[in-house]
Amino acid sequence: MTAPVLPSRYRVAGRHDETHDTVTLDLRPVDQPIPVCQPGQFTMLYAFGIGEVPVSVSGTGPDAELAQTVRAVGAVTRALCAAGPGRLLGVRGPYGTHWDVASAAGGDLLIVAGGIGLAPLRGALVTALRHRDRHRRIVVLIGARTPAELVFARELAQWRRAGAEVEVTVDRPTDGWTGHVGVVTQLLGRADLDPARTTALICGPEVMMRLTARDLLALGIPAHRIRISLERNMRCGVAECGHCQLGPLLLCRDGPVVSYEVAAPLLAIREL
Amino acid sequence: MTGPGTGVSQPSAGAGAELGGHAFLRGLPDSYLAVLAGTCRPTAVREGYRFFTEGDTASLFWLIRSGQVALDLDSPGRSLIVETLGKGDLLGLSWLVPPYEWQFGAVAVQDTTAFELDAAAVRAACDADPGLGYALLRRAMSAASSRLRAARIRMLDLYAAAGGPQDAP
Repeated sequence: MTAPVLPSRYRVAGRHDETHDTVTLDLRPVDQPIPVCQPGQFTMLYAFGIGEVPVSVSGTGPDAELAQTVRAVGAVTRALCAAGPGRLLGVRGPYGTHWDVASAAGGDLLIVAGGIGLAPLRGALVTALRHRDRHRRIVVLIGARTPAELVFARELAQWRRAGAEVEVTVDRPTDGWTGHVGVVTQLLGRADLDPARTTALICGPEVMMRLTARDLLALGIPAHRIRISLERNMRCGVAECGHCQLGPLLLCRDGPVVSYEVAAPLLAIREL
Repeated sequence: MTGPGTGVSQPSAGAGAELGGHAFLRGLPDSYLAVLAGTCRPTAVREGYRFFTEGDTASLFWLIRSGQVALDLDSPGRSLIVETLGKGDLLGLSWLVPPYEWQFGAVAVQDTTAFELDAAAVRAACDADPGLGYALLRRAMSAASSRLRAARIRMLDLYAAAGGPQDAP
């Protein structure tokens, strides 16, 4: 075992309703906090008495606080989304690989997010903006279903002020929407990317990531500088149970962040 | 700028080079760019400017250099935005296909600059030189294919809620 499997108790210190079904919880440790999380890693979040699910870390604080963004899609995530301030939750981890933002230093950083896929990328973006001088351009392209389903909408202006070029596109505009309409891949061609110097981090539905990666390859960005975040049935978090196997990978250990060079042939196999 | 016959004026090397910098025409030989430059003028419009309306004759098309344009459809009481186009995009496909009528409307949603091309003159130039016609059609087909793919992806509603593998509904 490379990380503890006993949950630490964290208390919900705050919550932000991102959309009608998605909440970001601010968690403070009650017990010994889990080790420091890197952007892109995930924890197993436990709603006591109900169950445990993998949730990506969307932010960290100086005193071991965690921000975790959860979408209510089942019994456990509904319970997590309903957790108000003061509620105790179990947290174990952090698990898996991270975005390795440092390796993109010196070049352009491209972040492409679809839907709640922005949550695991938020930490990478905040890290990059904290060290803004290490990157040339920081381009953030976000796709959402509707304007109301855009997560972290309250932070976009702050990211722009900090030096990121942020573009948002929606599938279904509503009255008053003045931004882009279309899929996020359509923004790639308008971003004036320098393929020779770009590192791309992508997170969203698997189809969206595959198509985005394919377009980036066509633009000339090499596969080893395209990273995606994969999701399978993470259970133990420590590469023991095998539920999250994707070919030769156990994604709780070898993922969730995987180079597209490694992921591309695996994603082409329907049975995986 | 256009002359008699094909409607194509004499080539302009400077304008051709400028056109060649547009993503839609990147890689096109200089001789073709010079022909297109003779059918083209730069244009700048303010937010709210309507490029065309559904059903009108498609007599022009544009290569967007900056800004943002929404393709729309009129619906009782409001306008529905189909998709938006921006820098590097081709605005207008209906000029290529009979009956040369716009299938959608297009309105600038930001101040926008573009190259505006005379559709009849470009079609005539393509008829006169099938090499140019093939090169342009390939580019237009690529744009159409990309938009078709985008439309199909949107139909899949990828961002709709779906349970994770271990979070039973």
